[in-house]
Amino acid sequence: MSDENRRTATERIKHFLLQVIDLTALGFLEPVVRLIYGEEPRVQIRKIGRFVAVPILAFLCFVGIWAAWAPHHKTKAGEVPTPSVVSEAYTTILTFSEREDSKEEAYLLSEAERVPLLQQAEAQLLKARTTAQAADEAVAHAQEADTASKKQLTERISEQLKTHKSTYKQERKTRENALKTELGTLSSNESIARVAAFREWKSKQTRLQKSMKEDLARIRAQVNPKVQTALAQQTSCAEEVQYLSSYCDILSKSNKESKLAAIDAEILALQNSMKQADTKNRYKQADKILVLHERRKKVEASSYAKASTLPMQIIRSIACVFAGFLIGTVIAVPIGVCCGLSSTFMAAVTPFIALFKPVSPIVWLPILLIIVGGFIPDPETHWLIQWLWDAPLIGELKINPAFLASALTVAMCSLWATMVNAALGVASVDEDHLNVAKVLRLGFCARLFKIILPSSLPLIFAGMRISLGVGWMVLIAAELLASSEGIGKFVWDQFNNGASDSFAKMFVVVFVVGFVGLILDRIMIIFQRLVSFEGSVAAI
Amino acid sequence: MLSSLLRHTAIICASATFCLPLHTAETEQLELEKSELKFGFIKLTDCAPLVIAKEKGFFSDEGLSVEVVAQSNWKILLDNVISGELDGAHMLSGQPIAATIGIGTKAHIVTAYTMDLNGNAITVSNSVWSRMQEADESLDTETPPHPISAQSLRPVVDEYLENGEKLQMGMVFPVSTHNYELRYWLASSGIHPGMYSASDVGGRTSAEVELSVTPPPMMPATLEAGNIQGYCVGEPWNQKAVSTSIGVPVVTNYDIWKNNPEKIFGVSAAWAEENPQTHLAVVKALIRAGQWLDATDTQGTLINRSEAARILSGSNYVGADFDIIKNSMTGFFYFQKTDKRAMPEFNVFFDHFCTYPWYSDGVWFLTQMRRWGQITEAKPASWYAETAQKVYRPDVYREAAKLLLAEGFITEEDIPWDTDGYKAPTKEFIDGILYDGHDPLGYLSKHTIGHKE
Amino acid sequence: MSLLTLEHVNKGFGPAANRYEVLHDINLSVEENEFVAIIGFSGSGKSTLMSLLAGLTQPDSGTMRLRGEIVNKPGPELGIMFQNYSLLPWLSVYENVEIAVRQVFPKMEKGERADYIRHYTSMVGLDNAEWKKPSELSGGMRQRLSLARTLSMKPDILLLDEPLSALDAITRSSLQDEIIRIWNDDKKTVVMITNDVDEAALMADRIVPLTLGPAATLASDFPVTLDRPRDRTTLNYNDTFKTLRNDVSQFMMSLSDEAQTETNDTYILPDIQPKDFTQHTVLSRAHS
Repeated sequence: MSDENRRTATERIKHFLLQVIDLTALGFLEPVVRLIYGEEPRVQIRKIGRFVAVPILAFLCFVGIWAAWAPHHKTKAGEVPTPSVVSEAYTTILTFSEREDSKEEAYLLSEAERVPLLQQAEAQLLKARTTAQAADEAVAHAQEADTASKKQLTERISEQLKTHKSTYKQERKTRENALKTELGTLSSNESIARVAAFREWKSKQTRLQKSMKEDLARIRAQVNPKVQTALAQQTSCAEEVQYLSSYCDILSKSNKESKLAAIDAEILALQNSMKQADTKNRYKQADKILVLHERRKKVEASSYAKASTLPMQIIRSIACVFAGFLIGTVIAVPIGVCCGLSSTFMAAVTPFIALFKPVSPIVWLPILLIIVGGFIPDPETHWLIQWLWDAPLIGELKINPAFLASALTVAMCSLWATMVNAALGVASVDEDHLNVAKVLRLGFCARLFKIILPSSLPLIFAGMRISLGVGWMVLIAAELLASSEGIGKFVWDQFNNGASDSFAKMFVVVFVVGFVGLILDRIMIIFQRLVSFEGSVAAI
Repeated sequence: MLSSLLRHTAIICASATFCLPLHTAETEQLELEKSELKFGFIKLTDCAPLVIAKEKGFFSDEGLSVEVVAQSNWKILLDNVISGELDGAHMLSGQPIAATIGIGTKAHIVTAYTMDLNGNAITVSNSVWSRMQEADESLDTETPPHPISAQSLRPVVDEYLENGEKLQMGMVFPVSTHNYELRYWLASSGIHPGMYSASDVGGRTSAEVELSVTPPPMMPATLEAGNIQGYCVGEPWNQKAVSTSIGVPVVTNYDIWKNNPEKIFGVSAAWAEENPQTHLAVVKALIRAGQWLDATDTQGTLINRSEAARILSGSNYVGADFDIIKNSMTGFFYFQKTDKRAMPEFNVFFDHFCTYPWYSDGVWFLTQMRRWGQITEAKPASWYAETAQKVYRPDVYREAAKLLLAEGFITEEDIPWDTDGYKAPTKEFIDGILYDGHDPLGYLSKHTIGHKE
Repeated sequence: MSLLTLEHVNKGFGPAANRYEVLHDINLSVEENEFVAIIGFSGSGKSTLMSLLAGLTQPDSGTMRLRGEIVNKPGPELGIMFQNYSLLPWLSVYENVEIAVRQVFPKMEKGERADYIRHYTSMVGLDNAEWKKPSELSGGMRQRLSLARTLSMKPDILLLDEPLSALDAITRSSLQDEIIRIWNDDKKTVVMITNDVDEAALMADRIVPLTLGPAATLASDFPVTLDRPRDRTTLNYNDTFKTLRNDVSQFMMSLSDEAQTETNDTYILPDIQPKDFTQHTVLSRAHS
């Protein structure tokens, strides 16, 4: 009996798992679950082979081809990073963000917590300084060796070039003079031929010089991998030193509690001295104390001015895309529903849809920046911005006009899919369902909310899913233009940096953007499946 | 002789003040209206004072918590300062003036701090450089004699014109120092860089060389793509061209105008009005940052520049590779891979009373705007002075300096206490024409190309 | 007075120049508690007639009255049960009934309403499937749900539009019994449209044939004089039943032949008569 119970219980878990898999459209997991339950193992293994192993293999192939091809493709502006370089860049990005996090933490630490940490950090700093010195030396060595070897390579050519230049200069002069005297005795045709030959000779000589120069330039431009690694090492050491020294600073005098303690001490001293002070000084000191109190309040409310890090930018981008998506949906669904309900309204709206739908985010953004700027002339004091800053959770995002403009751009570019789908969904409600409404004599609202909307929800959600996808694509471009803190800005900053690892960091972003987009799509699939019913549009 | 001696002592004093104050002097915090600030910058090494003031704790000494945020271009940066999104920013010297008189976006912007002198160079593409070498043999060595005038470019320009094309060059913004420097360099050799007018805001009327706007970080890529044949930009974008072998810097703006003002720290007039004490505190911190950047040891070696280059190479600041930023920041400049020259004054952040907001600087930019037609009608000399006084705020600077002097961070001779705001007339231009800020109209009339009044 | 009357009702579609008349001069009166079966070929205008009866479409001329009042719009008093169930697929069994009950009896208390809904779901044997969605129900269960929903509106007259045509034979017979039981228990008036002579003869008090379209009309009716309750197992040997079935079938066949000659269709068909193996005749044009 209990055995049977257990069996039904495990069956139920299996059923539940399969349902979840179906809901989230993670079909490739289905054979895994079935295999665990020992259901037709051979079939399941074949399925796993097809739906799990093949994609993984394909991805590995892609990485392999990339790794093999990347080192062969170089431009003057940079080189295509290999997968390992990209993964290094990923680590660098993470390190930067971790360091900023720990600095922020250090700013807020209490006296008891920070003192041991400070000692530790100072010891680390000392050690890091020595390694940094060693790294500096290593760079100097590598560069010296590089210069020496290049010099060896170039010396001969540059010597040749020098002699060639001087002999060429002399010979040209002598030949030219000889030619000039000779020309007096020759016919004009012959003269022309002679001069042509001379010119030919000259250009041959300059070509020769040019090729020598090019050889030199090529040798000099060669990147020495040893120098490269030494420089990378040096950079990482120097950054460590820089981080540790500012970390120590934050742990000591720039720490919030230390600052407060300093102010308190000052106030106390002033209060003490006030007792002995005469009337005139008393006024001054009382005033000073009040100022200090004021400052204390400000310090108390202060936070560490943290540099933006990629994780934070990702969160802000996601928030921005959802803000835009929500705005877009709030606009698109009612209009789409009205279009579906009334063909007159549809006729009125169609030209706008046709006109605005193809407009690129690059056009919307500057326009919206101006419009938002018009509504929010002074973000510091504007009620909306203040409210958004003080709001829980989203206050962290520091929503500003650039954020709003980006979100609105997302909305303007993405709402069309939802709008068109909503119109289609409402217009194509099953006639039978409408007859039910007629028989029941449902009023307009009841008909709308009980029959029409539920019936068109699957299509509306299908549209929203497309919208979110479009929005995510558009957002990166919008942030890039608006300088709104987010993934787009990260990419633009990296592009602007033009450092040797910038290209690799942009590759990291490719994967981040793709991954987030995938997650967003999955979320929408789940929603779409939740509102779907038999006979409605199938989720892909 | 005497002046060099004086300078020497000044250096000693500066370095002494640098070493000591950390322990002895302390800043007197002001009654700040606002303590959490956000400043914008463009990824160029001359944003250094802002970054250093943050990273070396000069802002926090004043009780300020400052965020420094990279902006994608000069227009967005200015818009953000106007909208209040940014409290202040690293700006082109021409920007506050242009904004105040209404060239481009109109808004009253003021400055109480000049961030640096010099720091730009003009780079040409490899092919233009080899043609210049063909035309002028003296350039055909690994270390050609400097300064190279635009005369050497003349044959190339003519060649283009003969083919019915025009040489294209990039600069960073219509009212940027780069635009005026590039025009000055070309015009000083008789090459017409084009005039602005009410109907030609691109500034290409009667141009022999056409100039167009490209954001600084895009310069090397645009040059390599062949859209432009040369550009004038700040660092690290000239050194980047050398290290990636896509172009050759031919002249620095130090040669075009010795110790010319480059960037300023700009805030909106409304902000300055509302936050006078905060403004003061910011200027104090920036003066100290400039001083730190130009600190030297007894041999005259810049001691902090390597550290500054390291800080600037952080990906949230300038972000370029350290060894590229290091070149110009530590007083060297590569004209070619084989041509490394000492240029101790390539970037000046404090010496020569650099940080003082000089009226005469403002007047010079106004003369250039008039010369090239951005100011469409002739103005009286008094207008130049009045406009400069609207934008430049030496009063704030002096008050900040006074406080720093009292706190022991700077010495008497660091600040030109009794100036009338005009630098001494100078002839140190590539064409040797005398500039006197008191006489803008006379200065305009001395040039052959451009408006003369 | 008759409960429901149709007087000279005409209905057609299309523009005047190219008008297609579906129904022509329909006259029908249904008495209280009567079970009327309207029998006709597929495509003869049965669905249009049902739409008219339900008030979903309006006649071009003529009038329909319910208890003497002219009907010109649909409503819960005309309880139509659609051919393809018309269940709302996003609602559960319970909610499908609830939406009707809430609308028709807005003043009903919460608890009372729940009991009321359960009464109808259990009446059709769906008490164990209350929270299932229609997609999880079999065809027969869906039809029962549709029936429960219609009945819950307490209609004056129950209009059944080929309610059982899509079901398999076994489900079909059990539902037939169910409908008869409910009709009997609740003393309802029922108008049922069907294409099955056996079904009509088994269930109805009166069979009214609908002639072939275009311009279909109601022919004179065949009263069903069989005693109730009727037992389907013995009915097949009942002579009255056999005669009735043959009469109706014959009549319908003749209509079909007429239509053939009228339209001058000259199909040459093999001269064979189908033999009735099942003793269960479904009318269809293929018979000719």
